Amino acid sequence: MSTQIQANKTLDCKGLACPMPIVKTKKAMDQMHPGEVIEVQATDKGSLADIQGWAKNTGHQYLGTITEGEVLKHYLRKSSPDETKEEKKYPITVTTDELEQKLKAGDKTTVLDVREPAEYAFQRIPGAKSIPLSELENRLHELNPEDDIHVVCRTGNRSDMACQLLADKGFKNVKNVVSGISGWTGPVDRTH
Amino acid sequence: MSTKVAIIASNGGLFDAYKVFNIATASAATDAEVGIFFTFEGLNLIHKQAHHQLPLPAGREHFAEGFKNANIPSIPELVAMAQEMGVKIIACQMTMDVMNLTREDFIEGIEVGGAVTFLDFAKDANVTLAF
Repeated sequence: MSTQIQANKTLDCKGLACPMPIVKTKKAMDQMHPGEVIEVQATDKGSLADIQGWAKNTGHQYLGTITEGEVLKHYLRKSSPDETKEEKKYPITVTTDELEQKLKAGDKTTVLDVREPAEYAFQRIPGAKSIPLSELENRLHELNPEDDIHVVCRTGNRSDMACQLLADKGFKNVKNVVSGISGWTGPVDRTH
Repeated sequence: MSTKVAIIASNGGLFDAYKVFNIATASAATDAEVGIFFTFEGLNLIHKQAHHQLPLPAGREHFAEGFKNANIPSIPELVAMAQEMGVKIIACQMTMDVMNLTREDFIEGIEVGGAVTFLDFAKDANVTLAF
């Protein structure tokens, strides 16, 4: 099964040499909102390393790259200034290790991944269900309020908000997985 | 808190220009604060006329085609991009005096200063480069 990678914006940098793909990515990213995903199409082979270095230094999130013939499609997500800081407002949390042990033991639980579809496509916990945070409120019917639900995102921040939302809506057994995918050392699935 | 990059440009060829402006624009695009001090032949890189026709090293003239084929932006384009992203350009007053040049001989939007002007910028830089 193939998951289509969704991007809010596509930037054409094909045929451009260093440093143009980076310069154009920066300019495009400045016009975007936090949380949005950009697809940068480039033919400059150096852009594969450059885009990752750029993301690391600017705090934006590099999701991954798909190669289609000569074209490299880089996916990046714009971060908001405060999201790399982990906030714990929802009181019930588990660590990624605890979740990994639970899944390994075969305990029945739903892993809910509230990141964007593009993030989910590149790396996810096997069996995780994808509902982006922005869609959660309209898709509550896909979840059972009685179920044991572990909510994950990248760092534990969006999942914290999701846990609060679910608790407000009467979900009884919701846990926030702190440190999220960034702290996950167990097996992963990916579409690409 | 951002990264600060201080560059000295003291050579006036096309290769030198690309080294300087590629690093400068890439740094600026990565949210770094960038300042370049142009001194001696490096002044060519921001001279109104000269920066449009910078020489390739002797015996390397055939690279002109390579630049074209690889779709490399021109030096004036890179300079404009650098300035648009806030790269600070400082021309060396002492060299200008030696070469009998004035501010009017250079592109718009530059600063003119002495060694201390650059040192003041570079003293807390994270990256310092000389080309």
